[in-house]
Amino acid sequence: MSSAKQSVIWELQTRQLLLPKLDHDVSECEDVIALNPETRRFAVADGATEAFDARNWAERLARRWVQNDATLTSEEFCKWVATEGRELHDSWNGLNLSWYSEEKARNGSFAAFVGVEFDLETESPLWKAIALGDACLLHCHRGALLKSLPVWRSDSFNSTPVLVPSDPAIHETAMQSVIIDSGSCTTGDVLLLMSDAAAAWCLQCFERNELDPDEFMRIKQDDKLSQFFDAERLAGRIRNDDLAILRIEIKQRRTS
Amino acid sequence: MYSAQITRANPTCIILLIDQSGSMSDPFSGDSYRKKSEFVAEAVNHTLHDLVIRCTKTEEVRNYYYVSVIGYGRAVGSCFSGPLTARNLIPIAEVADYPLQVKSSYKRVSDGAGSWVEIPVRYPVWIHPSADGKTPMCEALAKVKEILERWLKEHPRGFPPTILHLTDGESSDGDPEEIGRQIMSLGTDDGATLLFNCHISSRKSAKIEYPTEETSLPDGFARSLFEISSRLPSNFLAAAAQLGVNAVEGSRGFVFNGDPSSIVQFYEIGTSLTGMTPYRWMDDTRTEPA
Repeated sequence: MSSAKQSVIWELQTRQLLLPKLDHDVSECEDVIALNPETRRFAVADGATEAFDARNWAERLARRWVQNDATLTSEEFCKWVATEGRELHDSWNGLNLSWYSEEKARNGSFAAFVGVEFDLETESPLWKAIALGDACLLHCHRGALLKSLPVWRSDSFNSTPVLVPSDPAIHETAMQSVIIDSGSCTTGDVLLLMSDAAAAWCLQCFERNELDPDEFMRIKQDDKLSQFFDAERLAGRIRNDDLAILRIEIKQRRTS
Repeated sequence: MYSAQITRANPTCIILLIDQSGSMSDPFSGDSYRKKSEFVAEAVNHTLHDLVIRCTKTEEVRNYYYVSVIGYGRAVGSCFSGPLTARNLIPIAEVADYPLQVKSSYKRVSDGAGSWVEIPVRYPVWIHPSADGKTPMCEALAKVKEILERWLKEHPRGFPPTILHLTDGESSDGDPEEIGRQIMSLGTDDGATLLFNCHISSRKSAKIEYPTEETSLPDGFARSLFEISSRLPSNFLAAAAQLGVNAVEGSRGFVFNGDPSSIVQFYEIGTSLTGMTPYRWMDDTRTEPA
């Protein structure tokens, strides 16, 4: 993933971690990470545990958004979500559901979503992000937090965020809460896309100035990294929830 | 305390204890056509429906809750019938699969553009109204204690049990304070068992909801129930606030001289557990014959 500009090539190096709740099977994980080097789009979605078909909805949002190359505006996002929502609901037609599944399906599905796209064709790489819910993007520079969206304080996470609904009938209200933001980066900058429990933990680390949470993403072996986060959840420092972390590091390479 | 995560590996138990004595066939004050027993049965069915929906994951119901509905009047025992007959603590997935019938209803919801639309909803029925006999409250609480002891032996950790007790009159078999205290002394590593009491009345009297002290209560019976009502933990207070109910730090889970809306709120607050959003059903549901 690179682009030549004069003699500088910008590269994006990624690392991801996806963990189900403690004592849960990976098939039950409702967090989804998606990335596409072609569109330079990256996304994390977190299906609402209490919603119908939440994993499918989160997967559809994340995986299809990174394939999409539509302009990143609130209007386009709203139209796109409505189409995806209709398709999801259509996929439920014909299912022989019990009374409780039918009740649940009637309310549709919900997921938190954060997506970012990069423009590497400029002197300094630019990012533009869109978010709805409590999945977050954190922009870090040399161990300091430059920006966090849509939530910027660890105590601002609550159990009832406005999420991306699959039911087009309630899109209009929800979409008023969509956040779009942008920034530029330099070599060594790190962007973290995270679902809520991981983001809350990370923000708390920055607030307390205790440690650089990004340090842990440098643990090389995947199993050691998983063990670290399991231990944090067992100790109660991270809420026992699914965890999705996508780390994107901006690197510069000079060509002769 | 009262912060343990409720999971399938670490479920919690909820007991709905309902007075089914003869006086429950009287109507509420100012409501000459509807018996208290009918309204309570409807509220219990809605509460069970809400608990099932909360545990539904797409096409599966996860056993986060084990539920009991105990009635007392002519007899003391489980109110479930059909395949669930005589069972005391039932995993919520089984409750979901065995309603006695499923009625069709309509619910008014916002169409997102300033108007209301009616959507069909399914309304399962597990228990029918019953009102007969005296008020053996102490025997009923002893039954609850027996169920709890068995549960806590197997589930010493996790969110403590919740008992939601609804009655319309004084106990006919003695003072319930002692057995109530015994129940409140049981618990898990996450806190003591929560015992909440809702007293409903056929008389037109001022209702007292979620008091912090007993000085405002009219008689010894009310004070007894107050004494065996747990303080509302913060999660439940948050649920009460969402419903517009005036409950504060130190408020007991106790209602005296309650009316129909008190019953609905009592169940909504009492089942809010770990900060779950209360489920509202009373104001916007119209039921049609099955």
